[in-house]
Amino acid sequence: MEDVLDEVVSSEDLQKFEKVFHEQLHQGKVTHKAQFEYAWCLVRSRYPTDIRKGILLLKELFNSHPDGKRDYLFYLAIGNARIKEYNKALHYVKAFLEIEPANQQVLALERQINKRMEKEGLIGMAVAGGAVLALGGLVGLGIALASKK
Amino acid sequence: MDYVTNLKILVIGESGVGKSSIILAFTTGDYNASFPATIGVDYKCKVMDVNGVKVKLGIWDTAGQERYRTLTSSFYRDAHGAILVYDISEPKTLDKLKEWVDELQVYSTKKNIVCLVVGNKIDKPRAVSRERGQAFAQKHRMLFIESSAKTQEGINLAFEELVQKIIETPGLWETSGPSSNIRITNEERRQQESSCYDYTCSI
Repeated sequence: MEDVLDEVVSSEDLQKFEKVFHEQLHQGKVTHKAQFEYAWCLVRSRYPTDIRKGILLLKELFNSHPDGKRDYLFYLAIGNARIKEYNKALHYVKAFLEIEPANQQVLALERQINKRMEKEGLIGMAVAGGAVLALGGLVGLGIALASKK
Repeated sequence: MDYVTNLKILVIGESGVGKSSIILAFTTGDYNASFPATIGVDYKCKVMDVNGVKVKLGIWDTAGQERYRTLTSSFYRDAHGAILVYDISEPKTLDKLKEWVDELQVYSTKKNIVCLVVGNKIDKPRAVSRERGQAFAQKHRMLFIESSAKTQEGINLAFEELVQKIIETPGLWETSGPSSNIRITNEERRQQESSCYDYTCSI
């Protein structure tokens, strides 16, 4: 593991906090704590559907519980970065840094997101470059075949 | 022989005692007077050389705030070492450290995990004697050191002592190098010595 974006929740944890959340949901009253704990597990899941669900729960918390805003913003950024919604992730990072401009943890997260964007951008270009080479190869082959006739 | 192993180090304790500052001081040598509360869990790594053994430390910085207590316990899993921090200018933070020892006992999975108690902020006026901190550590069979993240005093020593003790504890860690011979040697040593190490379990 190199950074917080790689960290994956254990299935026991996810199940444990999912159970608490659903029990409270069933009783008609979900506490901020239970919703946050479940969302915190979801955004660290390896499955994008879980992460998206976690993001929805965090957005709900963000709008209803001002006390925990910095925590919600931080994990909204992490969740979005993990499903490669980098621009959205950076938007949350920026919102956080407006309140705490020198927060080391969030500045480090910003660097990690930028690094990933850069890396994946390069991979994208490499794939495109490979396609051009392959196409060039085909054209070359076509010319070679045509000239044989 | 030079080889690399990965060690997981956990840093726990009450909110505001200086956990993140200690890690920042150790990994970068920097100090930040107004460190905001850590959100959830943070991760830093550093490669360290202990007696010619190259080890990679993965340091897990946990939020001290109560709201994170149930969440951070899952990070105790597989930790090789734990640093329990209190603030020598705030006696309450040492009183509360007992709760963290209990957490560690419940959630850590390696039975001979090495623990170090750190009395931080010795640059501030003292309200907890060195002896009191030492007695606490001794009672729980843990290492003890006092430090200041602000002046760097004791910071490197804290990590060196902890890692040294982990390396000396057979069976606690495994080499992650390509050579399998080393692992076997380590296993053998564990079998030979495990009986005398069992009761020195650090918690």
